[in-house]
Amino acid sequence: MAFQKSLFALSLLAGFVIVGSAVQAHEHMAPMPTTPGGKAAYTRHENFKLQGAAFKAIRDELKSDAPNMALIATNAAKLKSSAEALPTWFPKGSGPESKYETDAKPEIWSDPVKFAAAVKRLQVETIKFQPTVASGDLGAIKAQAQAVGGACKNCHDSFRVPEAK
Amino acid sequence: MGDEPEETPKVRAKLWDGPTRIVHWALVILIGFAWWCVKANQTEWHLWAGYGILGLIVFRLIWGFAGSASARFTTFVKGPVATLAYAKTLSQRSAKEVAGHNPMGGWSVVAILAAILSQVITGLFAVDVDGLESGPLSDRVSFETGRLFSRSHDLSFTAIKLLVVLHLSAIAFYALYKRANLITPMITGYRAFETDPKLRFAPLWRAVLVAVAAAAVTWWVVKGLRL
Repeated sequence: MAFQKSLFALSLLAGFVIVGSAVQAHEHMAPMPTTPGGKAAYTRHENFKLQGAAFKAIRDELKSDAPNMALIATNAAKLKSSAEALPTWFPKGSGPESKYETDAKPEIWSDPVKFAAAVKRLQVETIKFQPTVASGDLGAIKAQAQAVGGACKNCHDSFRVPEAK
Repeated sequence: MGDEPEETPKVRAKLWDGPTRIVHWALVILIGFAWWCVKANQTEWHLWAGYGILGLIVFRLIWGFAGSASARFTTFVKGPVATLAYAKTLSQRSAKEVAGHNPMGGWSVVAILAAILSQVITGLFAVDVDGLESGPLSDRVSFETGRLFSRSHDLSFTAIKLLVVLHLSAIAFYALYKRANLITPMITGYRAFETDPKLRFAPLWRAVLVAVAAAAVTWWVVKGLRL
């Protein structure tokens, strides 16, 4: 009886957790918007997801005991080219006024000089990253990965709507 | 012979064991601290707080099966009939004497533990937007899934906040309406009873054993499930 009760409590607990996770993991994938601004915002979001995935792939490798250097190099190259293209992801009209759910702040367009500097910083760090990766020096790669992430954060702090805290 | 004394003599007896109280207050402190870390952008400390909370919650779950009588799920998790029967007595001014969690409180404990467990699990897989600070198991999921976990981490924290408000309201209700002090026993471990419930308490060595097991599990999870 006592054992059954324990099992009951435990399965309920597990049930809570599973249902909660399932509800939360339900991915919302909005359809492609039809306006030019909306399309640009949508594409930008996709591009940032790819950029995030490339950076995460590097971070995950650096966490492992035997990092796959080729994988790091491929993704470092991806970061460099996406940082290069990044300035084209923000055409006028693709901000909050696009009606597409975006975390891009209006300051991107109202303070273009500061925004350009933040983008430049990412470009510089991702360019520097290439020879570092090629050198194979793990310590230096980790440090430069940190600098690349710092550039992401620097821009997010000023130009991305902060997450709920 | 004179009249019977109006108040039955109360006996002071132990209700909550040390481990249960330590876990309770440590969770309060660490969850508060983890929240502050987010506000203050102290992500590294936030992760450490999360590991501590993981250890505490693992300990509490094992303690719910192997701990003292008042800490065991079998003691306080009741079926719908008993829970409803207790709910009907809520409006009475005097608190029904239950040695430990009453049936409704028991469900509140299960809900809080489940919410904290969800909080810890979603945090383990969460990926932050800068990719700088991520949970120790985030390398097991894709960037997008990790971002989803991060959002779930927010959601389950909302659940925790709501449950804490409910918890505090219930304590206030018992204090003001039923004149029952639930706070002091959770600090001292002792409560006044009409009759000594003669609860059974787990020996200290068992708490030490469970703590070691909880620490080992936590270490293993934080190391990315690698030995």
